[in-house]
Amino acid sequence: MKKITGIVFIFIVCAVLSLTGCSNAGSRKNTFTFATWAAGVELQEFNEIINRVNQNADGKYKIEVLSVPSDYYIKLSTNIAAKKAPDFFWLTQELISKYAKMGAIADITDKLESSSNLTREQYYPGVLQSAIYEERCYGLPWIANPLIVFYNQDLFDEAGIPYPSPDGGWTWEEFIDIAKRLTTTKEDAFGNNYKQYGYVVDGWPNIETFIWAGGGDIIAENGVDVLLDSQESISGLAILNKILKAGISPSYSEVSSLGSNNVWFEKQRAAMFMGGIQDNFETKVNAMPENEQFRIGYAPMPVGLDNRSHSFNWTASTVMSKQVADNPLAYEIMETITLEFFKWKIAPPIKGEIDQVAKINPLKAPALDTIQICLNNARSANYVPEWNEINNSLWLKLYSKMLNDPDFDYESEAKAIAREARELIAKRK
Amino acid sequence: MKKSKVGFLFILPWLTGLVLFTVIPIIAALFISMTDWSIIGDANFIGLENFKAIFEDQMFYKTLLITVRYAIFAIPLTIFTALLVAISLNNQYKGTGVFRTIFYMPSIVSGVAVAIVFKWILDPNYGVLNSLLGILGITGPNWLYDPDWVLPSYLIMAIWGASGGLYIYLAALKDIPKELYESATIDGAGLIHRIRYITLPMLTPILFYNMVIGIISAFRKFTDAYILGGAGEEGIFYMVYLYGQAFSFYKMGYATALAWILFVIIFSLTLIVNYTKKYWVYSE
Repeated sequence: MKKITGIVFIFIVCAVLSLTGCSNAGSRKNTFTFATWAAGVELQEFNEIINRVNQNADGKYKIEVLSVPSDYYIKLSTNIAAKKAPDFFWLTQELISKYAKMGAIADITDKLESSSNLTREQYYPGVLQSAIYEERCYGLPWIANPLIVFYNQDLFDEAGIPYPSPDGGWTWEEFIDIAKRLTTTKEDAFGNNYKQYGYVVDGWPNIETFIWAGGGDIIAENGVDVLLDSQESISGLAILNKILKAGISPSYSEVSSLGSNNVWFEKQRAAMFMGGIQDNFETKVNAMPENEQFRIGYAPMPVGLDNRSHSFNWTASTVMSKQVADNPLAYEIMETITLEFFKWKIAPPIKGEIDQVAKINPLKAPALDTIQICLNNARSANYVPEWNEINNSLWLKLYSKMLNDPDFDYESEAKAIAREARELIAKRK
Repeated sequence: MKKSKVGFLFILPWLTGLVLFTVIPIIAALFISMTDWSIIGDANFIGLENFKAIFEDQMFYKTLLITVRYAIFAIPLTIFTALLVAISLNNQYKGTGVFRTIFYMPSIVSGVAVAIVFKWILDPNYGVLNSLLGILGITGPNWLYDPDWVLPSYLIMAIWGASGGLYIYLAALKDIPKELYESATIDGAGLIHRIRYITLPMLTPILFYNMVIGIISAFRKFTDAYILGGAGEEGIFYMVYLYGQAFSFYKMGYATALAWILFVIIFSLTLIVNYTKKYWVYSE
C-alpha cells in the first residue's frame, strides 16, 4: 500500500511541477515554431531561409516550420483557441487589427522603437501602417506589393497611342480615354471576330482603389469614423461606374470565361491591367511562343481627384504570439527572419532596397523607376477589427452589383453600408 | 460476467465516441451559442443576446429565404427525377447496368469537383449549356451572374445529382410483389394506372425517407454554394452565411446560435412531415 501511495505522490509532484513550468515556459524556451501558408516551391524557399537562420543562430535558438497550406486562418485560430498558437506566424494586413483586438498577437511597438537593426523609419510609411492598430505596432511587414499599371506596348503602337509616362501624372479621365481608344473589334487567325478591351475590372482592383481615386476612403485613419458615404467616396464610385458604363472592360460574367482577369492581359485581350508589382507577366510572356510575345510597359496608378496617385498595397506581416512576448529571444528571431524575407520577396517593404527587386527578378529591371513611385505611393485601407464584415458588404451589396448592373444605384447602397459600418463600429468594446 | 455487462463492453468504444464527439459537442454548442466567443479570445456569457441579434439581422432572413426557396423546388424535383430514372431502369434491358452506373455516378463525385465542372457548364459566354441553347437559337441567360437565374442554376445542379437515391428506389421497386402488377394487367390496367395505383403507393415509405433526407440536405446546402456563390447575395445559402460568421468574421457564438436555429427548423419540418405520414405513406 505504501508503495502505491509513494508512486501516486511522485506522480502528483511531477504533474504539479510540469504544469507550473508551463506558465512561464514561453519566456525561457529556445525552440520556436513559425507558421506559414507557403506551399510547394514557396515552402522550399521558406525552409531554406529558416535553415540559414538556424545555422547562423549557432544553437542559440532553433526555429521549426509549421506549414499550413490550406485553411490557414481556420487552423491558426483553432490552434490559438487551444492555447497552442505558433510562436510566430504570417498574418495578412486585413487581420492585424482583429487579432490585436482579440489579444492573440503581441504588441511589439517598444521593441521596434528600441531596435537599430530594423527601424520604423526604414519602412515605407504606407506599408508599416497596415501593421498598426490604435497607434501600436503588431507586426513586421515582410513584403510590399502595390498596384502598378502594366500595359501592352505593341497594342499602344498599333493604335497610335503614346505610352503613359513611367513617372505617372496621368489622370483617371485620361486613363479611361486611352482605354476607350484601345477597345476595338479584331479578327483572329481563323477569321473570327473578337473584342480587344482597353482594361479589365471584375472586382479587381478592389473597391478601395476607386474610392481613393475620388479622394475618399472607407474608414478614417482614426479607425472609428466611416467615410464611405462622403462626397469624395461617392465621386470615386462614380469613376468606377464610368469605367463599367464605358464598355472598356469585358463584362463581369465574361472575365471568368478566360480563367481569371490577368489572363486577359496575357492573351492580349486587354491592353492594360492593374496588378501588383510582384505579378510575373514578364516571365510568362518570355515563355510564350515568339509570335505571341509582346512588350510590357509600366505606369504608376492614375492620379485621383485629390491629385494623388494611390497604389493599393497588399502586405503581410510576421507577428508574434503573446505566449512568447516575454522571451528575450523572440523579437530578435522575428526581426532576423523578417530581414531575411526582404531578400526573398518582391518588393522589400523598406526604403533604399529597390535594386533588390532586379536582383530577385532581373526581368523587372526596366520597371524599377515606376515600381519606386508605386512603393512611395503604397497604402492599404484603414483596417479595423470589423473590416471583414464591412468588406463583405462592400463586395456583395455594392461592388458585385455595380459589376452586374451599370445602372445600379451605388450611392444609396454606399450610404446604407456606411450606416451598417457605423453600427458595427459602435458595438466595438 | 453477466451477459448485459459483456454487451456493454462491446458497445463501449462506440459509446465513448458518441459521448466525446457528439454529446459533449452538442452541450458545448448550446453553451457557446450563449456567449460572444470569437474562437481566439475569451468567451463571455451573454444569455440570449445572439438569438435576439439574429432575429434583428436582415441577412438571417435573406439567407433563410434563399434556402427555403431552394428547398421548395429542389426536394420535389430531385425526388421526381430519381424516381423517374429508377422506374426507367427497373427492367433488365441490354445496357441497363451501364446506365445505372452512369446515373449513380454524380453521387460519388466530390462536391467540390461538381461545383468546378458546373462553373464551366454554366459559364454565360463559353459554357456548354449556353452553347447548346445557342444551337437552338436561344440566347442563354447569365446563370450565376444574374440574380434572377441563381436559383435555377442551383436547381440544375440538384437535378443532375438527383440520382443519388437511385439504388434505394430500385431496391424498393424490386420489393413490390409481381402478382400485384399481374393482377392489375389482367384487370386491364395500363402502365400509367399501374404506376399510379401500385408503384407509387408501394414506394411511399421510401418517398417519405427521401423527403426527410431531402429537407435535411437542402437546408444544409453548402459545398457548391460556397465555391460558386451567385450574383450579389443570391448565392448565400444559410449554411454559407453561418460558416462566414464563424470563420470569416470570428463570431463563433453567433454562428453556433444560427446552427441551433437551423436545427430547430429542420427538426420542426421533420416532425411536420412525420405527422402527415399517416395520410399518405402506405404501411402493411
